[in-house]
Amino acid sequence: MSVTLEPIVGHYTSFAIQGKQCRVYFEEAGSGIPLVCLHTAGADNRQYRHLMNDPEVTSRYRVLAFDMPWHGKSYPPEGWQETEYQLSTALYVDTVMAFCAALELERPVVIGCSIGGRIVLQLAHLHSDKCRALIGVEAADHQQPWYDTSWLHRGDVHGGEVCAALVSGLVAPQSPAVYRHETLWQYMQGGPGIFKGDLYFYRVDSDLRGKLSGIRTDLCPLYLLTGEYDFSCTPEDTLRTAEAIPGAQVTVMREVGHFPMSENPTQFRKYLLPVLKSIQGQ
Amino acid sequence: MTRSNAATGAQLLQRFTQVASSFAKPRAVQVDMLVQFAEVPVIVRIRDGRVTEIVQRGVALQSWDFAVKGTAEGWSQFWLALPPAGWHDLLALNKRGAFTIEGHLQPLMAHLQFIKDLLASPREEAT
Repeated sequence: MSVTLEPIVGHYTSFAIQGKQCRVYFEEAGSGIPLVCLHTAGADNRQYRHLMNDPEVTSRYRVLAFDMPWHGKSYPPEGWQETEYQLSTALYVDTVMAFCAALELERPVVIGCSIGGRIVLQLAHLHSDKCRALIGVEAADHQQPWYDTSWLHRGDVHGGEVCAALVSGLVAPQSPAVYRHETLWQYMQGGPGIFKGDLYFYRVDSDLRGKLSGIRTDLCPLYLLTGEYDFSCTPEDTLRTAEAIPGAQVTVMREVGHFPMSENPTQFRKYLLPVLKSIQGQ
Repeated sequence: MTRSNAATGAQLLQRFTQVASSFAKPRAVQVDMLVQFAEVPVIVRIRDGRVTEIVQRGVALQSWDFAVKGTAEGWSQFWLALPPAGWHDLLALNKRGAFTIEGHLQPLMAHLQFIKDLLASPREEAT
């Protein structure tokens, strides 16, 4: 065959999340330590395509990225048409743990960005015994809202366009145009009201300030990586969060914004590879 | 950059006018937007995705759909080739208080990327 195929392979699987059967799409590449990747609100697993194409990562890690139900190529659970999608902290934790259980992943490393970074903190709080290490990208226990989420789903504003336009400012000006616009395209393709439903978790149901006591970073290392151009989850938000978690390791990443793995993979890997190497050595 | 070496409102308007007067995209945008550069307000008229007029306010009872008002420092930083973090986006500037956004916001939100691109159009070329 003369064509070049990427090493990424996609699969569909079905498992129950909070009693509802969900058909979930995921992609994977590589072998070694399981590395489960959580996409941002309103997006999908394409954000991790660069990571899954990076031999320095896939030679040591089995990288898995799933589309949350309602996102990407994962359908909503049956009966969705009668409900309003709202992600909660409990549903998010259960979703991640159900995926890991369904794939029989033994003590995976979990990396999550934005809402994925927030839930990584909750995983550190609740399930550090089930994870080998946790990496929160653009993660904080709380952050100040900077727009009214009702704009994300209404009849007189195109949902995909406004989602993308809002988050476009979270991409750093240094990020390559091709990856900036790939990142925004993901937002343009989200289902109606899904970004808003994810932000219910972010804005309403996951204020973790004062609730992250007892995190054992000696048992499950916690790394926090935040881009300097992220004005949604600012470096100050992450630094404040880390101050309350003994042993949390924080890095502020230069010249990236809220979507490091998607908007500027070359810059992101400069910060991620040392973290993955550290985890591998533990 | 500090406030002391930020451009004046008149200078900012001149810079904006030079570039934005020819701004156009294939999109059905019909908006009258008030844009204020420090103390200098203008109304930017957009028809069928094309800036058709940039008019200084001087007549009473001129109407507009929404307004974007920025400090001299805010516009000056925003238009740098590589703006510092927090000065690089319309909504980042709004969050930090260097810009305010007022009025009937539906036309803004319906065409947000268009408006963002228009307002950023005087940005310096990266070297």
